[in-house]
Amino acid sequence: MSGLRDSEDAVTRALGRIAPNTSYAEAMAERSDGLRLRLDRSQTSLGVDPRLEGAVFRAWAGDEWVEAASSGLDAASLTATADALRSHLGAKAKSTPPPGISATGSGERQTHAKRPVAALSPEERLEIARRMSETAKSVGGIHDVIVTLVGQTEERLFVSTAGARRWQQIERTRAAVVPIAMENGKVEYDYVSLGGTGGLEVLDGLTDDEIVRTAKEAKALLMAGSAPTGSMNVILDPGTAGTFAHESFGHGTEADQLLRDRSYLKPLLGEMVGPEFLTLVDDGSYPQGWGSVFFDDEGHPSQRTVLVDHGKFVSVLHDRESAAFFGRTATGNTRRADFLSRPFVRMTNTFVEPGDWSLDELVKEAKDGLLLQNCTSGIEDPLGGQMQIKVKKARRIVHGELGAVGPSMALSGKVLDFLKGIRGVGRADVFGIFPGSCGKGHTDLIPAGTGGSYLLSHAVVGPA
Amino acid sequence: MTDPTFGAETAYRAADHLRKTSLAGTWDVFGEKAERFEIHLNGTKREMVRGPVRIEGIGLRVLRPVDGQLGIGFAATSDRSAESLSRAVQDAEAAARYSRFPAAHVELPAAAPNAGPVDSVDRGAWAKPLESLNAYVHELVSAFEGRHGVVPSFGSVHLTLGESTLANSAGLEHRASRTLVDVEVAVKAFGGPEGRPPGEYWVVGHSVRLDPSNVRSDVETWCQRAKDVRVAKSPTAGEQTVVIPPRALADVLPDILSFRLSGAAQLRGMAPKPGETIGAEPISIWDDGTLPFALGTATADDEGHAQSRRRLVHAGRAEATLYDVLHGGASQVPSTGNGRRDILSYPDWERFSHAPGPMATTLVVGTGDVATDAELAEVAGEGIWLDQLGYAFPDALSGAYGGEIRIGYRIHRGKITEPLRGGTIGGLVVAGTGERSLLNSVVAMGSRAELMPHLSCPTLVVEKMGVGGAD
Repeated sequence: MSGLRDSEDAVTRALGRIAPNTSYAEAMAERSDGLRLRLDRSQTSLGVDPRLEGAVFRAWAGDEWVEAASSGLDAASLTATADALRSHLGAKAKSTPPPGISATGSGERQTHAKRPVAALSPEERLEIARRMSETAKSVGGIHDVIVTLVGQTEERLFVSTAGARRWQQIERTRAAVVPIAMENGKVEYDYVSLGGTGGLEVLDGLTDDEIVRTAKEAKALLMAGSAPTGSMNVILDPGTAGTFAHESFGHGTEADQLLRDRSYLKPLLGEMVGPEFLTLVDDGSYPQGWGSVFFDDEGHPSQRTVLVDHGKFVSVLHDRESAAFFGRTATGNTRRADFLSRPFVRMTNTFVEPGDWSLDELVKEAKDGLLLQNCTSGIEDPLGGQMQIKVKKARRIVHGELGAVGPSMALSGKVLDFLKGIRGVGRADVFGIFPGSCGKGHTDLIPAGTGGSYLLSHAVVGPA
Repeated sequence: MTDPTFGAETAYRAADHLRKTSLAGTWDVFGEKAERFEIHLNGTKREMVRGPVRIEGIGLRVLRPVDGQLGIGFAATSDRSAESLSRAVQDAEAAARYSRFPAAHVELPAAAPNAGPVDSVDRGAWAKPLESLNAYVHELVSAFEGRHGVVPSFGSVHLTLGESTLANSAGLEHRASRTLVDVEVAVKAFGGPEGRPPGEYWVVGHSVRLDPSNVRSDVETWCQRAKDVRVAKSPTAGEQTVVIPPRALADVLPDILSFRLSGAAQLRGMAPKPGETIGAEPISIWDDGTLPFALGTATADDEGHAQSRRRLVHAGRAEATLYDVLHGGASQVPSTGNGRRDILSYPDWERFSHAPGPMATTLVVGTGDVATDAELAEVAGEGIWLDQLGYAFPDALSGAYGGEIRIGYRIHRGKITEPLRGGTIGGLVVAGTGERSLLNSVVAMGSRAELMPHLSCPTLVVEKMGVGGAD
């Protein structure tokens, strides 16, 4: 498989077959591959990610977008795909322009990994994984340890009939250590995971101390009693705060949801939705961010967009169509999961800006409640404004002190109530952006970073 | 009647190349060619039409004996050129040198199953995909006409035609076709004099048939749910009896049971031993790869073994395990025909990019004797009728699940009453004898099963479930 730019002429020629029949067309070609390692007590699996390549063509048909796509970057596949798309285009396609402003810039950008995973020999990759596994096992009573190490490369080329040409190559590295404890048929685990754009340097925080701490937590979870449930003070750890920013709030700021009249946030634009010390951001240009891209899939550069500025809801995320409707500019947030998937307005790295509270101060302020740690999932409810966030463990806060760890919990309630109830945000020294996978609806998974610092508010928590 | 086909030779061409280049030892190659058509809605307006979206690729697996174990190498590519295939061979062989699986020897099937085609294809949709899709979407949109205060806020319907081919070093060649339908609709209820905020009911469905015949009754139900969301109250916290219908169980049971009852869990010491109690006495569970028009149904699994119906749990006790070739090899038993390349949580159409692993086809939970929903509510007495969790996050490792109640109904004095929303519900799906779990706490079961993705199941009445709420 050669570089994607070797196929550029064929992609451009295929796009040229569509151009006479529409007022606007674009192509996104993609190649992706990677290295993957998984180690546990029963097996070692070291291999390559699927090598996938293909292109998607999109054209304005006069009143709707039409798309066709195919794997394969050979001229025959590209031509057949372009011709299939052209057959959907009637007379209106030529006479009516698409909504919004077409990107016109050109550029080439790529991740400069300091220590790329691909530069390691298989033995070196195995050595890293084994060391992590042994470190976790050094804590007695650990039944198994799952270690994963992934290095992925994604290359995308965007060209359009408006003259845009964008090429980017993004490298992402991610690792996770999952110590598992087991007794009398009961299985518990904890996890630590880091990832970002770049090479092994994004894993520097995955220290032995962190792995040992995680293994001890897995053991403690095995013995943990049930945690209190109901409405109470909660502190979210940085990863969970990030998931709140993304799932509970961020999805409601994707402007295609506003176009569909499907966001509880729509009437609140310009209003105060939280305390003055709260700032929420989406930033596709964040250095080493897991969800960072150089350009979006409409050819616009990624950027930092402040969503909530000192408590005031000030901006939403736009593609060309929503930007045109609301009289704004596109924010570089149009993303496809891959060449097989449609574009949507998507988040990149969404986070809570750090504040000035230490964790100790937040715990004392909470007095009684739960510290919710290690987020495992979250789901959006852009119309209803309800939230659901699940965490792997919940630590009691009793009389202003951190207590015993408890099992997985779910956080629910109204997002706006939670925002208004925020009483403090943690300092920058614990700020982090964590790797995650975001779906739009039931599929279309993309890399999305979520982050923040500790955050104190009030919510309903229950078993999960 | 034979299945419709693209005439794809994806895996066969690759196998020919591998044989010509004298690839030695044990290997198999899985090829997939698929075409997808999609219509996306913004309200009742068509926002985007996609298709054909085509993908074709192969997944090559080599199995090499190394130090009394097997070295497994897997490489997948959508580039079907000879150069790309050669690189896949190199990648797979390199991976096999370092990967280790605790089986000394395995045998791949030499011939495809004799069974004829099973019902896993919507022939009408295959013959006329775009027309069928347009007709379905037309029916869907029409079903909202004339309704006041309810609209679809967004939706999409995807139709995928897929053809897989499988060849291996033992000489097997097998071909299978399938159709896959994904429907996602969010229904919004709004307006009215009461000034309440709008409510939404969001449904996702997967099946093998693009069947418009039930669309109108489905839309009627969805609209009612969306209206109910607007007036729903928070549930009361505490332990409660919860009635869980198949559509909610489908988000919980397949992921956890498919792992816990598999050779993969057995290898990690996490599977129940034969005879061990994992559920209440009324619970019996089968794996059935032959159910007509079920997502997991096929003539053969993705390693070429025939499909069958096998009992996994009998009267609450574990009885059998799901094996693919490798995990069967590790336990020195044959494959049970459960070598699959799917992802359970959502139907995948790039199966060639995954190596096979042990996985359920369709889990069939035996029915009980309670005939109607009203009788099930009567059995519950007081509690919650759970319609939908926000996201159940079934955790295969720990066996835990849970999430926010997106919509449910209070059961009071044996009747289904006011709608509920908010709060959380969750716990363990499986646990040891005497431990609290969903399966251990089943006290009654409906007499009718409903086919869901990877699950055929009646409604279950589960006592003492943990419910989190505001009070």
